[in-house]
Order: sequence, then structure tokens, then C-alpha cells
Amino acid sequence: MARVHLSGELRQLAEGATVIEVDATSVVQLIDRLEDRFPDMKGRLREGIAVAIDGEVMANADYLPLGPESEVHFLPAISGG
Amino acid sequence: MTADVTPYKWVGTRSIRPDGLEKVTGRARFGADYHLPGMLVGVVLRSPHAHATIRSIDTSAALEVPGVKAVITRDDFPEITSEEAMSGESVVDYRDLSRNIMARDKVLYIGHPVAAIAATTRRAAEEGARAIAVDYEVHPHVLTVDEAMAPDAPILHHDLITNDPEAETRGPSNVGKRHFFDRGNVRAAFDESDVVIEREFKIRPVHQGYIEPHAVVADTDEDGRSVVWCSSQGHFLVRTLTATVLKWEPSRLKVVPAEIGGGFGGKTTIYLEPLAIILSARAGRPVKLVMSRQEVFQASGPNPGARVRVTIGANSDGTIIGAEAWMAFEAGAFPGSAVGAACQTVFAPYDIPNVGIEGLDVVLNTPKAAAYRAPGAPIAAFAVETVLDEVAEALSLDPIELRYRNAAEEGVASTYGPTFKRIGFKETLEAIRSHAHHAAPLKANQGRGVASGFWFNAGLDSTATVNIHEDGTASLLIGSPDIGGSRASMALMAAEELGIDQERIRPSIVDTDSVGFNDVTGGSRTTFATGMAVVEACRDVVATARQRAATLWAVDVEEVEWQGGRAQHLSGSKPPLTLTEIARSAAKTGGPIAATAALTARGVGVAFSTQICDVEVDPETGHVKILRYTIAQDAGRAIHPSYVEGQMQGGVAQGIGWALNEEYVYDETGRMENSSFLDYRMPVASDLPMIDTVIVEVPNPGHPYGVRGVGEVGIVPTTAAIANAIYDATGIRMRELPMSAVRVHSAIERRSDDGTRTPVG
Amino acid sequence: MMYTAPVTVDEACQLLASNSAAKVFAGATDLLPQAQAGRRLEDVLVDLKRIPRLMNLEVDDQGWTIGAAASAARLAEHSQLRSEYPGLVEAVALIGSDQIQNRASLGGNLCNASPAADSGPSMVVNEARAVIVSTAGFRTIPIADLVRGPGETSLEPGEFVAEFQLDRPAARRADAYLRFTPRTEMDIAVVGAAARVAVDDAGRCTDAAVVLGAVAPTTVRVGGIAEELVGSTFDEEALARCAALSSEACRPIDDKRGTKEFRRHIAGVLTTRVLRLAAERASEQR
Repeated sequence: MARVHLSGELRQLAEGATVIEVDATSVVQLIDRLEDRFPDMKGRLREGIAVAIDGEVMANADYLPLGPESEVHFLPAISGG
Repeated sequence: MTADVTPYKWVGTRSIRPDGLEKVTGRARFGADYHLPGMLVGVVLRSPHAHATIRSIDTSAALEVPGVKAVITRDDFPEITSEEAMSGESVVDYRDLSRNIMARDKVLYIGHPVAAIAATTRRAAEEGARAIAVDYEVHPHVLTVDEAMAPDAPILHHDLITNDPEAETRGPSNVGKRHFFDRGNVRAAFDESDVVIEREFKIRPVHQGYIEPHAVVADTDEDGRSVVWCSSQGHFLVRTLTATVLKWEPSRLKVVPAEIGGGFGGKTTIYLEPLAIILSARAGRPVKLVMSRQEVFQASGPNPGARVRVTIGANSDGTIIGAEAWMAFEAGAFPGSAVGAACQTVFAPYDIPNVGIEGLDVVLNTPKAAAYRAPGAPIAAFAVETVLDEVAEALSLDPIELRYRNAAEEGVASTYGPTFKRIGFKETLEAIRSHAHHAAPLKANQGRGVASGFWFNAGLDSTATVNIHEDGTASLLIGSPDIGGSRASMALMAAEELGIDQERIRPSIVDTDSVGFNDVTGGSRTTFATGMAVVEACRDVVATARQRAATLWAVDVEEVEWQGGRAQHLSGSKPPLTLTEIARSAAKTGGPIAATAALTARGVGVAFSTQICDVEVDPETGHVKILRYTIAQDAGRAIHPSYVEGQMQGGVAQGIGWALNEEYVYDETGRMENSSFLDYRMPVASDLPMIDTVIVEVPNPGHPYGVRGVGEVGIVPTTAAIANAIYDATGIRMRELPMSAVRVHSAIERRSDDGTRTPVG
Repeated sequence: MMYTAPVTVDEACQLLASNSAAKVFAGATDLLPQAQAGRRLEDVLVDLKRIPRLMNLEVDDQGWTIGAAASAARLAEHSQLRSEYPGLVEAVALIGSDQIQNRASLGGNLCNASPAADSGPSMVVNEARAVIVSTAGFRTIPIADLVRGPGETSLEPGEFVAEFQLDRPAARRADAYLRFTPRTEMDIAVVGAAARVAVDDAGRCTDAAVVLGAVAPTTVRVGGIAEELVGSTFDEEALARCAALSSEACRPIDDKRGTKEFRRHIAGVLTTRVLRLAAERASEQR
């Protein structure tokens, strides 16, 4: 079960929940499950989003595996200079 | 400078950079140094209005000018629909990018391109430009966030709607995205705090200040394939952005990286490449386009200006229990400023349970903002780190001690969400606290300030190839432009892995056909990620070399180890084989020895910097002189200490310019008044003291050599360190950037007459 | 466009007389940036740096003769000029940067007639003279009459400045130049202030003058300075009154380099400092 921490816009779309437990073994699966649960999230978790898994922020995380207790954050993707 | 202590033979030493000689003799080739037979000169016609609709463009007279070979306008560019705008996971909006490169229905800033001309001489091209007739319908314009957000402000984009469910109207506005993040209960925290300090700040736009203007040569053949020579911070990115804007397959475009004369984030985008390509396609000849300094200022992306409000609440024991930030960033003509990153970095160095952050991305009639060294973070840090200084004073706490008590560390949930792994923030605080600078005496009119900052650093993708030649030397084929000495660092890491002298390694930055994909040289990622690819490729080469030795010795490869650049048999019964010997017989033992590593770099380490600054303020003129500056930064491991120090000093030097003199000055028509290096005042060498560096090494476990990116974080705390020092010297809190003599003097004049240290500014 | 390099003053005068579109230049340190910024260059350019008389720098009992095209660097390196006119040398050593000073000249700096030119205030406060030549002969004018307004000199067509003259300074007399710029070099004066001061053997002022730059279309000689200071020992109150006179005398503009108020204030601050500096030097001069 991955623990997904939500903030900002995503928390609003998840009816105010700050942490959600989702049964998923990969990020893409996690996104599918979240979109099923909260249809308003459709499309919001894919474009311009980076994913932090257990503290590591990554830009193209879709097919990365999640462990049984992975901590997941969705963050607006940023660019460096 | 720290003494160099390294457990390695090559990593951690100060080799002479491979590109040094050609750079100091002028032989190095930058974007504008390429000449092709038949090459034409390109010139861009730019909007004289800050905000206008283009009714029509008539290029017929231009084409009649002798020497003019091609004229292009918006009609020569494919349309990108809103659906196509965000391609993939990129943060780039291609529709906006394309419209920034060539205006479509509207011009949105003075300098916005409306046409481009290629001719046999510059004079003919300029004459051609003057002959183009553009019919504009001029609109009112907005130049600040306040003007842009006013209720009756002229709207730049009629399809820009704020993503704010609480917005009163869902009509178009000049506010693009609204970012927000919160945790805990900030209001309750402030109610409980013994001290609450709220302050507002104003930051003006600044430019990255690269000395080399944008320059590109493009040559398009009859098959519609193009070769582009340009300096950039990522030629693969140039290929992707250019191809997408032109709606070409990327394989039609080869980008050859020229040496780069500074980028700092400003060259992680494109302005001229599509123009040069289409001009060369129309003319059937190569075209060179080079921006003048004035064009660089008027039309390339500065760092946004901003308004910021920060509130911090703390208890008398020095614990910060609540922090709030509101920011509005000037994105320029198109949305997409770094306000999101600013929201994430603003409180990141600290462990604060209750946090509220809001950021607005605001469009206005100025050039579209581009990245600048840790984009967004320096603006946020200017505000937070000066408020922290006030909190420390209110609590009678030493400013470093206040930060130390609230410092984030491993296991703390960051204020942008994820939990920190091993980080080096406290170590940078300790390094400054124990530095001789911290205890040095000060004289009258002198003051001292400290500040800290954070930056993420990036991982992303890199590919590198290592080829071993018959003489045992190695070529590294790298796809990361070298903007900070990374080439030298790659050679050192390769030398360490292969066990050969770094002089026998030649690193080359090669074009998009010659090496696999590489993400930008930016985001402080190159030594980390491309270094990782180089290391992995070298390890493959070493595995191959062991195998070849095993073949030559007719033994199992498990009996062969690699030590000091040689294959050794475990029994010690065979004389070792050098890489040179193995390479010489490669054809007989299985063929050429080479390896490529292509990876997404994992295990990125975030970066922190703490800085201390002494200033002297002339009380009669307000002129601020930087007397002494020390920067501590956790670099994980310094592969090449000189270039790590260079990045640290460079960040500080730019921060000093930002703090004291740099700003965009616009007149009421929206024209930049100071578009030259005379009045856009960057510091010169005599303005700066030697910037002392302390490289803190808390190795990043995610990298084979412990590297943490170093390029960016150095600029983050600098403006605040200087503002805090000015306060210490004068009793004046400056809350606007830059803190020029005129402004400091004016603040000194306004100070209350009873002479108490009343915050004013 | 034609480039010419005459080797005598007569040759140069002839070129100017026969070409209404001819322009002289020395270091071209203002000419070239203006051309790069879009200003059209004249059809005939006359390089003055091959004419020995214009590159001369000599001194005799009568005074100093400084060729109009001699480089600022050469002036700054001349130890006797530095000791007799330290303020003038300070001023030329502030033009641009080291590289610029290898080319820049007094003639160019003055005839470019920028209100912020560093050499203007010093040359005026030291009562220098300009020797102007043409095919009609030569005339000598006080430096203050050379510049009429921004970008405008009093030179007639066919004329150019061949050299500058300065008297040998009296004993216990010295000059100084200070300017305010945001950067330490490669910057343009927000305010420039030049002073000359003479003292008697008890250290009392016998003569004083202040000329300001960058606070009006041309240099400003501040009236009343001598009246305030002669007979004094440069006490705080007298200097403060001089500062007020300078602030009053300014006719500054608001621009991106400074507001009117700031310029007036800085003019006062620099006046006090430059008078003190000149006074210290005058006391040490033999």
C-alpha cells in the first residue's frame, strides 16, 4: 500500500484528504487507481507533474515500482537553470 | 579555500581543464564563430509596441531590396493547437514557445519578433527589415503584477483562465496558474506564537547576464534536413524544442554544440533556431542569426520580478511553529514563471509543522521570463531569510543559532512534501559559525549578515560513450555542453575508473547524431548524472578489459582483477597487463573496446548553502561595498575542487549584482531603458572581494563518488545575506531589490530622527 | 567610407577643409560604440594618432602641453603630471577601464561633450586652455568655452583641437577629482566634482574652486566657493556651506542613473570630500 500525500489543488480534488492509501505496485497503476477514485483528477497527475517516491523526486516516474510502504508525493514539475 | 584532501588518485584533484588552452587563445568556437560558404546574415524585425494586435504584414517591398534572399513571418510557421501544446511530461507549452519565437495575432512586448530576413549583408538585411510594413492596432499594456492583476487590466491572452476554483469569475485573466500548498494550521500557529513577523518585498527583474549573446547558424538542405550550430545548455533540448515548434520529426535536425559563453539557465530555451532554419530553407543557403546585446535584453527571458509577502511565527525558545508565504511572479508575455519552484523552496531548509504557501503566475507585457540559476528560489529566500533575521533579533537569538534550531535534517518531512534523506544543511551552518569570518571585528559603518538557501538539483537522463584507442587512450563522447568545467570532471572520474592518467582521456561534447540522448546542462545535474553515465560506461570498459586479459592469459575472468589501470591475475603469477597492452591486442581478443551507458540518474542529492557577508555602507551616499564574503555549500564530493569553487563564487557574484545594482528599467511605453551593460549594472571584478569558499562534503550515497549538484544553490541566499548585513551596518531593513545607492540613501534619509534602529526601507 | 591617417597637423587640416563629411578621431572609444548602436559613420574618418604633435606630452618652465590624442594611460603614467595635477590624472584614470585608457584621449573625452565626461570638471577647474587648429591658423580658448552642450562643441567646421595647455602649478596648490559611480570602474559618473585649492604656509586657504560634472548639460563652476573658504582652515561649517552651494548650483535630471534629489545631495557630499582632499594635498605640496 503506497501512502500518497496530497496538497494544494490535488487535495481539493481528493475531497480534502491529506494522505491516501492506495494499493499499487507502480506509479502508473497508482495514477489509474487515483483517477478511478477521484474522476476530477483525470489528466491532472500526468502533465507537468513530478513524483517523489520515498523522498526522491523524479520527472518520468510512471513505470517505477512502488514498495509496500512507499511514500509518494505529486509535485509540480520545475526546471533548473 | 579548503585544503584538498581526497581519498582518490584523480577525483578531487585540480587538473588543467581540457578546453582551457583553446578558450584563452581564442580558438574555441562559439555559436557566432561558424562560417559556411554562401552564408547569409539574418536579422529579426521586432515589435515596437508592448501590446498590439497585428492587423497585417506586408513583406513585398522587403523582397525587392537587393541582397535580400528570404523574408519570413508568422505565415511560415505551423500552428500548434492548445491540445498539442503540452507534449509529453515536459513543462514547456509549445504553443506559447512558438508564439514567443514568432508573434501570431498579437505582439506582447517590445522586442517580440514579427518577421525575419536573410540577406547577403547585414546592411541589406536591415534595409529589408525597414521595408516591411506592419499594421498594428495598439492596446494598453501592463508592466507590473499590480497593474496586471487590477480589475480592469487589459488582458493578454483571452484563453488564460486561472486554475482557482475559488475565483469569483472564471473569465480570462492575467493570472495563469495559482500554486498552493499547506500543512497543519498556520493561523492557529500564529495565534500561539510569541513572535509573529510579517513583511512584504518587491523584487525587480534581472537578467542572467551571459556575456555571449544567442547565436545560431542553420543550414537546411533540399531534403528538408537541417544542421544547426549553436551554443546552448542542451543541444538535444534545442533539437526537441525546435523540431516540435516546426512540427518536424527530430531526426530531420542535427544540432552541433558550440562552446557556450555563459547560460545560467537563460540558454535552456530557444529563440533564433527555428527562424534560422526556415530562413535557410527558403533561401537555400546557410543563415547566421546573432542577437545584439540590446536584443538579448529586450527579447530574451529575464528572471521574473515579483511581489512577496512572508510571515513567520516563533516561540521565545526559538522554535518556528508557523510560516506563510504569498508570491506573485512576473512571468512576462506568456505564463510559466518559476513561481511553483519558489513555493516549493521557500521554507525548505527548515522543519516547520504549520505552513501555508500561495504563488501566482502573472502575465504582463514584458519578455517571457526564462530560467536563472535556481529559478524562483532566490526570490523566496530574499524574503524568508530577512524575516528570519528579524525573528532572531526579536528573540535575541544569534541568526545562525535560530536556523540551526529549526534546521531540516534526514527524516524530516520537507515543507514541499517529501521526507529528506541525508542532507548537509546543518554542516553548512556549522562551517560558517566556526569560520574565522564569523568572529572577525567590524568597524564603523560596517555590518555583517548571514543567510541560507536550498535547491533541489536534478537527475534526468544522460548517455555517454567511452572508446578505447589502440594506444590505450580513451575518448569520452558526451552530450552535455560544458558550462562549468564538467568536461574536466568527466575526465577525472573516467581516469579514476579506468586507472589511467587523466591526460590520456579526451572528453568531447558531440552532436545529436554522435551520442545518445542527454537532458540539459542545467539544474545542477551534469557532474552528477552525466558523470554517472561516464562512470558506468567506464565500468563496462573495465569489465571488457578484464575479459580480454582473461583471454590473453587463457584463464577465467573471475581470476582477473583491475587495479591501478592494469589487469592483475589473482595469483600474482602473471605480469600485469596495462590498458594500453590490452587495447593494442584488442582486434585479436574480440574487437574494439568501447561502451555506452544510457541512464536516468537516480539518487539525486539536494543542496544547501549558508553564506556570511560583511558590507560597508557609506552613510552619506548609501553606496554599499562588499568587504568580505564567505560561502559554505555541501557539494557531496568535489570532483574538481576549482570548478566547484567556481560555481560557488559564480552564484555569489551574480547574487551580489542582483542585490546591489541589477534591474530592468522600463519607460512608460514598456521599452527597456537600460539595455546595455553600462546601465544594466553587473559587478566587474574590482567590485568584488575574493569570495571565500568552504566546500562541505557530506557525500551523497546515491552517486558513485558522492556528488551533489553545485551549480545553482550558491545564488539563493546571497541577496538576503547582503540585506541583513546592510541592516547590521545601518539599522535599515531593505525590502526592495536592488539595494542601489539611491534606494539605500533614500531609506537612510527617511529614518526616524531619534536615531533608534527602526526598521525602515 | 575612407580611413585616412595624416602625419602632420597641416595634412589633417587639409583633409577637413576639403571634405565636409570628414570627422577626426583619436581612440574611437566613443565613436565605435555609437556606430555599433546604429549611428552612421562619416564618409571620411581622420585618425589623429599618427601626428606626433597630437601625441606629445611635454613640460617646460612655461607649462604643460598635452597632445589632444595622447592616451589617458600615458597621462596617468607620467609621474610629474601626477604630482603636479593629481586630480586631472585621477580623472583620466577613471575613464572607462584599463583597456579603454590605452586608447582614450583628453581630446576625445572633451569633444565628445558628454555631460558626464570625467575630464571636463578637472580641466575647467585647472583653467586649462585648448589650442584649436584649422587651415585658417590656430586659436587658443579657455577650456570652459570648448563645450557648448551635450554632444556639442564650439568648434567650427574644419577645426579640431591639437593640444591642451596648463600652467605650472604654484607651490602649495593642488587639485583633486572625485566621482560617484555605482561600480568601481567601467561606469559613468552620476556626479563628478573637481576642486583646486591653494594654501599659505599656515595652512589657510588662499584660493579654491569647485567644478561639477554630470549635473547639468555642461560642467558647472560652483559660484561662491572662494568667498566661503579663503582665509579659513577648511573647517566643517565652511565645507558644509560649500556643499550647500554645490547642491544649489546643480541643474540635474532624473534618469536611470539617479534622481535629481540624489544628484544634488551627492554633489554636496563630493564637494566636501574633494575640497578636503585637495586641501590636504596643497599642504603637502612644495
